[in-house]
Amino acid sequence: MEQVKSRITTTHAEGADCQVLILACPSIAAATQPGQFVHVRVSESADPLLRRPISVMLADRQAGHIRLLVRKVGRGTEALARLPAGATVDLLGPLGNGFPFPSAETSGDILLVAGGVGVAPLVFLADTLQTHRARFRVCGLLGGASDEHLPVWTELAGRCEEFHVSTEDGSAGEQGLVTELLGEHLAQDGTAVVYTCGPRPMMAAVAQMCAEARVPCWASLEQWMGCGVGACLGCVVPAAGGDDFLRVCKDGPVFAAEQLAWEALGQ
Amino acid sequence: MSATVPDLSVEIAGLTLRNPVMPASGTFGWGTEYADLLELSSLGAVVVKATTLLPRPGNAPPRIVETPAGMLNAIGLQNPGVDVVVREKLPPLADCGAPVIVNIAGETVDDYVAVAKRLGASPVVSALEINASCPNTERGGMQFGLEPGPLAELVSAVRAVTSLPLITKLSPNVTDIVPLARAAVEAGTDALSLINTLLGMAIDTDRRRPKLGNVTGGLSGPAIRPVAVRMVWQVAAAGLGVPLIGMGGIMSANDALEFILAGATAVAIGTATFVTPDTCRQVIEGLAAYCVRNGVRSIREIVGAAHRP
Ligand SMILES: Cc1cc2nc3c(=O)[nH]c(=O)nc-3n(C[C@H](O)[C@H](O)[C@H](O)COP(=O)(O)OP(=O)(O)OC[C@H]3O[C@@H](n4cnc5c(N)ncnc54)[C@H](O)[C@@H]3O)c2cc1C
Ligand SMILES: Cc1cc2nc3c(=O)[nH]c(=O)nc-3n(C[C@H](O)[C@H](O)[C@H](O)COP(=O)(O)O)c2cc1C
Ligand code: FES
Repeated sequence: MEQVKSRITTTHAEGADCQVLILACPSIAAATQPGQFVHVRVSESADPLLRRPISVMLADRQAGHIRLLVRKVGRGTEALARLPAGATVDLLGPLGNGFPFPSAETSGDILLVAGGVGVAPLVFLADTLQTHRARFRVCGLLGGASDEHLPVWTELAGRCEEFHVSTEDGSAGEQGLVTELLGEHLAQDGTAVVYTCGPRPMMAAVAQMCAEARVPCWASLEQWMGCGVGACLGCVVPAAGGDDFLRVCKDGPVFAAEQLAWEALGQ
Repeated sequence: MSATVPDLSVEIAGLTLRNPVMPASGTFGWGTEYADLLELSSLGAVVVKATTLLPRPGNAPPRIVETPAGMLNAIGLQNPGVDVVVREKLPPLADCGAPVIVNIAGETVDDYVAVAKRLGASPVVSALEINASCPNTERGGMQFGLEPGPLAELVSAVRAVTSLPLITKLSPNVTDIVPLARAAVEAGTDALSLINTLLGMAIDTDRRRPKLGNVTGGLSGPAIRPVAVRMVWQVAAAGLGVPLIGMGGIMSANDALEFILAGATAVAIGTATFVTPDTCRQVIEGLAAYCVRNGVRSIREIVGAAHRP
């Protein structure tokens, strides 16, 4: 983990409400694993004060770049999206645990189930899986409200053997929720493991479907953060079966679905 | 010592600190989380999270919300309990090169006393900081910090069972902080920390619900700095004869200087570490530079200087 000042090499709008930033930060690019994130300072001033956690969408070790996909939902992400190429951004990272890799003996399908901007860490995972391919196939399922809400979908599609899209309004792919695509896939046997990132109700449904199908499921969670390094205990989510809590920044952001109390999380 | 290297060392409660800068309890975990980014041995002291007798799971999330130039937190004193703290959390700090101050909290006076006794047996602990000011639990200390009587009772009970230097951390959630400071000093505290967080709240207007799981939380960060400086000033003016550790929204050496000039012998950095992990180092360097610029040979010369005519 380190704190670096990183230059934006390019930035461009993506879909209805997202921005893709490419940042020059060789040390972080070299160290980051899929599912890890950077904690980004969005302003030089004391307001907004806190850093914002953003997943690394791709790390290009050769070029020394990382790519971020930012959805504009508030002051911090809007400020980040407005920064021009050439601007400097203060990053802390890489942080968090990242996705555990499937073992080389894994056979069958690896399913990546993404909702909206949750696609970002799964693009990186798909990218890395390609270089570690054994006997499995990577299948991507991406859902969004409409065709305008499927940011960087080609980045995921291009790294999967099989790829399906659903939109709630039917403007792209199947009409409906991504969990319906997952249901169809789980109905045919052969799914080895599911990785998911997206809105909490979506991930709660994915976790439940995987539990019923007895397929291991890894979910990448979000929570408001203070430190990002495990020190403040501010970013917790409830753990399964008890009163305990897990830190999203340090114990996560990736959790085995059975680690979490989804009843409390899905709300 | 050459004329260009100012003396930053200070004494707090019988401890000599190599400089007056330390992290604030609860913002620095168990001291090791930031070790990649900050040399612990460069700090005046390491201050760790509140420790209670039994493990506490803490409050339901969300526990953090950003507010203008600040943040609210309602962690709820999550910690693994004093036994685990002594066995697992403190030993890694044994050779950290700085005094280790442990913040203690409880629901009853007996809880504090039991925690203080256990910590007294740990060779790693250099001092105790009584947290009589956590606003985030029904009974987490602040009930002791709001009136002189209960505060004096708590401080003297802990004083009676420990020979460790004793610091008492005061709550700002009172009309007049001076009687509380005086009560703690009369009960035997060696130093005072001020301030803990200010009780606050934020509401999500879409959901029409409080943003924090705990409803209310403690406000920290630059937003509270003027309140904190004022309280340090008032307690210093009362001339109670114990050193003060000032904190509340310090982001830079200049902010730290406000506290020192108001009467703080040392300062603690909390929320700023989340934003800039090496804030403590920057403040230490900035204080040294200020001394050099202004011909100050020892930082102790300017403690409380703003009170002088
Ligand atoms: C590990 C991780 C990875 C992430 N990866 C990405 C990513 O790759 N791309 C991406 O776009 N986003 C990602 N996020 C989410 C991103 O961090 C947030 O969207 C961002 O912090 C929002 O900041 P903001 O200033 O834009 O919004 P804010 O203005 O802070 O908040 C947006 C909305 O949430 C409300 N809100 C804020 N805090 C609270 C609270 N504590 N309780 C209730 N409501 C609150 C605000 O009132 C506002 O309505 C990730 C989050 C985590 C934890
Ligand atoms: C996330 C968080 C956790 C805290 N936990 C504790 C604690 O366990 N014990 C304590 O005495 N103070 C605790 N505090 C208060 C700080 O030590 C400090 O008094 C306060 O935040 C003001 O300083 P700041 O504005 O620099 O953060 C906590 C503050 C924050 C932000
Ligand atoms: S954000 Fe501080 S512990 Fe996770």
